[in-house]
Amino acid sequence: MNLKKEIKLHTIISSLLISFMIVTLLGILLNFNHSSSSLGMELLAINETQTQSANAVTSVVTYFRGLDTLGEVTILFLSVFGISYAIGDAKSKLNIFKDENQLLQIGVKILFPIIILFGIYIVLNGHLSPGGGFQGGVIIASAFLLKFLAYGENIKINHKIISLLESFSAAGFILTGVLGVLVMDRFFGNFLPLGKMGDFFSAGIIPLIYIFVGLKVASEITALAEYFIKVKDV
Amino acid sequence: MIGFIIFSIFLALIILSFLIISTKDLAHSVILFMGFGLGSTILYFLFSAPDVALTEAVIGAGLASVVLLVVLLQTKQKEIS
Repeated sequence: MNLKKEIKLHTIISSLLISFMIVTLLGILLNFNHSSSSLGMELLAINETQTQSANAVTSVVTYFRGLDTLGEVTILFLSVFGISYAIGDAKSKLNIFKDENQLLQIGVKILFPIIILFGIYIVLNGHLSPGGGFQGGVIIASAFLLKFLAYGENIKINHKIISLLESFSAAGFILTGVLGVLVMDRFFGNFLPLGKMGDFFSAGIIPLIYIFVGLKVASEITALAEYFIKVKDV
Repeated sequence: MIGFIIFSIFLALIILSFLIISTKDLAHSVILFMGFGLGSTILYFLFSAPDVALTEAVIGAGLASVVLLVVLLQTKQKEIS
């Protein structure tokens, strides 16, 4: 009587759910006889039919291993969050680079738009040539880093725009994956038309994902560089 | 010819890494670290991995060195006593 009273309904339901999950997992694992030794060759063979990306590395990074890229971006976000929590302060002041170097300032004035353009080129051509969202994003952020080095505390970035861009790109990244689940039954499924290999508008969702990754990495590393340079005098 | 270039870059990287940890002036060490990133970029490119080479050039030679330089300037301790 007493024992019967202690076993509650949600205990039974949760134990049933967990045993169902364990049985499903065992079923999947026992049917999975896939050797990983020849995985690279197989990926190269199905790259042409599934993604039409001229750069096979890109298709592995975003399409076949899209979930890993999501994890990487999350790790980057966490590290930037930790640094901003530790040393990011609204009242922080510059205590280095006090003397303004005119040579550096003029050089940065000329180089800034060229570096931004090069970063955008790398992001947009990720599925055609080496590079992609991460590298292009860091190149864009390095242009802002040069500006911080040259102008010091006179340059100010709008943190509202940065956080807006970051959240927009993260949400777009995950929504692209979820749309792939809805349309193609696969996380990061390729629901856009593939096009012809080598064209600018080809490879389905890969350029879309790389635009989101590039925006996210660029905004995060710009914020990171500002925190590092404008750290408070300890 | 390519093999000779790869071998000489290997040697240069080994010597450079010894110099990085043995130089007394930390600013020189950071500049040499940038050179190390450049050397590894060339190596990755010669090993036909241009994606990794681009990442190494941007992160290893660019961003990491600038962060190290900023930390060096913030802490204001220039030489190992």
